[in-house]
Amino acid sequence: MEKAMATFDKGTVCSAWNYSASRLVTGSADGTVVVFDSLDPSSSSTSLTRTSNFKAHEAAIFKIVWVPPEYGDSIACICSDGSSSLWEEVVEDAQPLQWKLSKHFKSNSSQILDIQFGNSSSGLKMIAAFSDGNVKVYELMDPLDLKSWQLQAEFQNVIDSISTVRKAACLSASISWNPNRGERQQSSFVLAFRSDTPQLDSAKVWEFDRAHQRWLPVAELALEADKGDGVYAVAWAQNIGRPYEVIAVATQKGIAIWRLGLNPDSDGRLSTERVALLSGHNSEVWDMEWDMGGMTLASTGKDGMVRLWQSNLNGVWHQHAAFEPTS
Amino acid sequence: MPAPVSDSSPSGALVLSSSVDREVVYPIRHEVKPPIARLSISWARGNSFRVSIFKQQCGDNSAGSDDGEVGGQVLEVKIRNGDTEISAAEFRRIAYGSVSPFALLQSRKNMVLGLSKMSMGLSQFNPDGWEYIAEYSKDVSSILGNPKSLPSSAIEDPLEILKKVEEPTCLKAAWELMDVFYADKQSHWWLNERLVDWLAEYDSVLLTRQSTIHSKLFNFQKELDDLQVVEDNPSYWDVISSALAVGWQEIVVKMLRLHGSYQLDQLSNRETENGLVEAVAVLISKMPRMRPELDSGRLGECFKTKPDFTKAWEKWRSQITKLDGSAFWVYCAHVQTREGLRNMLQIILGNVESLSGATCNWMELYISQLLYVRPFTMGLESMYNLAERCMQLKKTSNTDRLMRLMIGILGESTEVVLAECSRGFGPWMVTHAMELLTEESDQVEVLLHEELHDLGGISIEELHRLVYAQVLCSHAFTWQIAPIYLTSCAKQGIGFLETLLYNQPVQHNGMLLKNLEICRLYELDGLSSNIMKIAGVYHWKHGRKAFGVFWLRKARDEVRLNKIALQLFDSVGKSISDESFKQWEGLIELLGSESKNTGGLEFLHKYRDFKKSLHQVHHKGKTTGVVQSAVDSLIALMKNPSTPQRFWLPILNDSLKLIDWHEGPLLNVEQTNLLLNKLQELSMARLRPDFVESDLTPLALSSIRLALAKNLGRAFLEG
Repeated sequence: MEKAMATFDKGTVCSAWNYSASRLVTGSADGTVVVFDSLDPSSSSTSLTRTSNFKAHEAAIFKIVWVPPEYGDSIACICSDGSSSLWEEVVEDAQPLQWKLSKHFKSNSSQILDIQFGNSSSGLKMIAAFSDGNVKVYELMDPLDLKSWQLQAEFQNVIDSISTVRKAACLSASISWNPNRGERQQSSFVLAFRSDTPQLDSAKVWEFDRAHQRWLPVAELALEADKGDGVYAVAWAQNIGRPYEVIAVATQKGIAIWRLGLNPDSDGRLSTERVALLSGHNSEVWDMEWDMGGMTLASTGKDGMVRLWQSNLNGVWHQHAAFEPTS
Repeated sequence: MPAPVSDSSPSGALVLSSSVDREVVYPIRHEVKPPIARLSISWARGNSFRVSIFKQQCGDNSAGSDDGEVGGQVLEVKIRNGDTEISAAEFRRIAYGSVSPFALLQSRKNMVLGLSKMSMGLSQFNPDGWEYIAEYSKDVSSILGNPKSLPSSAIEDPLEILKKVEEPTCLKAAWELMDVFYADKQSHWWLNERLVDWLAEYDSVLLTRQSTIHSKLFNFQKELDDLQVVEDNPSYWDVISSALAVGWQEIVVKMLRLHGSYQLDQLSNRETENGLVEAVAVLISKMPRMRPELDSGRLGECFKTKPDFTKAWEKWRSQITKLDGSAFWVYCAHVQTREGLRNMLQIILGNVESLSGATCNWMELYISQLLYVRPFTMGLESMYNLAERCMQLKKTSNTDRLMRLMIGILGESTEVVLAECSRGFGPWMVTHAMELLTEESDQVEVLLHEELHDLGGISIEELHRLVYAQVLCSHAFTWQIAPIYLTSCAKQGIGFLETLLYNQPVQHNGMLLKNLEICRLYELDGLSSNIMKIAGVYHWKHGRKAFGVFWLRKARDEVRLNKIALQLFDSVGKSISDESFKQWEGLIELLGSESKNTGGLEFLHKYRDFKKSLHQVHHKGKTTGVVQSAVDSLIALMKNPSTPQRFWLPILNDSLKLIDWHEGPLLNVEQTNLLLNKLQELSMARLRPDFVESDLTPLALSSIRLALAKNLGRAFLEG
């Protein structure tokens, strides 16, 4: 049964929960960020209390992303003017708690469409996808200071470097890090675009090659016929012991569930298998997230529904439940 | 019709309909007026998720046009499969209660497994493996509640035919059913009677659209007070024969004794009639029963071996047949009594038509057939065929979950049993009931333990346990018991547990300590230091620096600790207040000196000593010992190669008072030369591109030079 947790101000357009699902930030069309906290996370009460609000941008914030908790309580706001900013909650000297701007990212030529943070053994990495189809990887230089970032790599979301795209216009991008922690884990993420350039669109899995210090595309998650389909959202499932990874990719045709092998072949590519194509939203998919065990996928879409998807004992995927928000 | 049951659940969780029809859409009610611009979804812990609903921006953004209206809302939806009947608090009680029987059984199983691995035949050490299962089943059953008779008055109400008991739950009924078939193997020789007992206890929770015998009795009880002549009422005979059909003999006899012919004023007129009623009552109370014993107050004669029982049964049946053929019936003037009693005899004689007429659903019919038609059936032989025939006789839409479970059990299909447990009663039931099944057979063993690629390499057993653990994780009061179940999952349990623990908030110290304790218990060292790292950074960034350093040290996070040491350098050479010096000193103390990259820290420690003695000089004044130790610290600091060059000047500036000591030179020639050399080195270094200029004024540099020169001169003179 539903329980109301908080209401948002007029003009609120996005929200994001932190790692422990106890803090919520919202971003609004006028560039304001509001922070909500559940005051006692150990209690069963669900209601949230507004603890801070601040003006982060002059333009609208369309997406907020939390930085992994190993780096403090910080968020990245992606803004409609193409810039993005990192904000951090700190208490300095005798001053009260405040949200401080740590870093402002801006590109003159293109807009930032999506940002995701990945926490690897070598430190914090930030992937930013730009409207010209470029992808930039930044590394944090000092784990206690979110001001100091260094550009580590820049590439395009194409499977072979020959087919470099000169001019592209992308509407949206989605990135999902491999959520698995662990020392031996390679840094990897999946990235896709919705653009005017077919080769950029399809979801590709990128992995950091430590030996040569570069990012390599190790898999493409699209059937031959669907490679030009713009991707609305990608979500990499938590893997708590499966012999393969599971990644969901949403396009106009539905939500595809992909299995990704763990061991590369001689070309360094990972095997892929599309195990399901789930139709239900029949339109744009807004948001997708896997549950903590990586077994149930939740999605929302333009049909106004929340849908849960699960595989049965025989590996057949189906809709587990559907919810319709109604006022 | 299976329908969304979101409103009826007392648990505060939305219960997914068990229906195969997955097109059911559950409403999520919110306060945001349409149009909706976007929905955003995020999982919380366990089985709950949060939906953010954002209102579409209106074209005209004029203020005041729709004041007070919300721009969006976030809601939490908790989902649960299966049982709607149990409240959230009751579920938690059951969840907590069943932990220890489960854990005990697991440890016993592991012990047995260990012994068999050591090739010490299982039977040698564990001849009574089933006893563990039976004990487990009893323990779990007692958690599900014992039907207690409510306190009744001392004087028995002759009109009370149904004892008032606390309403049993369907969950308990299901568990007991599993217990009858799987756990209590010792009682299989009297399975029929156990099923009779089971139905007697749980007939009231069978959910069918038709009435049950229990409900018929219940309704009749209500009418009873107003009835003058019970035997004239057709429902009196109807209820009696129903109760008789399912073996509730005490109720039957009690009701028969309500018959009008027992009344003193009527006895003489209705002697024959009364004789017949009494004869039937006596015969019923003497019914032979194939069971070890009967509770006090219950009627029948118990037999423990089949031959004895068969003999007694034949004899009893012949008495019934004799009574049925008796000439006295002709003299029984009361039609209803005659018909009613003879129908009862037909039931006892196993007349299928009478049995069918007296029972309300196939389950009751099935039990009645076991009692009167096939009393000698033992074990599960051909029980399924019988059940099928009963189902044909009593065609229903068959929606009751207990009945579906029963069919699965009788069909000896483990898949169906598991599916029904899961569908009808939820993850708790299937997780705990699986333990009863594992002892069944090799085929079951394979079904439960085979690793399935499509499930990500886990077995069905593990899957169900993970699903249950996820349910436990949904609630702040139950997540702590999830590890018990997760650690019984060989493949993915630990990964799941790590995710669970990683996602606990670190702000509250009590919770943090509990988390770390669980990590320690399951030897999750990597995770534990990661959690301490998160806590360390959290406190460091939130102004509780000492706490931050404490946790970072525990996490052995060299990288961050060194960064902190570097930050502390910033205070070097700055005049700081007593208070912040103390704080700074405390932090250096906390940082410790055992860290591997001690370069920076060694300097900080030396610098702290120097600052401390300088402090004393300023406050305590001229005691030679104090002043001398300050000079020693200064020289030690300047001699040490780990002292960064950029701090030389600030340190010397700090020491101006010492160098230019008014009572005479404190530094000897050699010491003064050392310091002068350092100054020289500095001016050389200034030529290099990476030189960091200190913030000191040029004037400060001149004063240092002057003071050193003065000291050198005085030292020469003194020396």
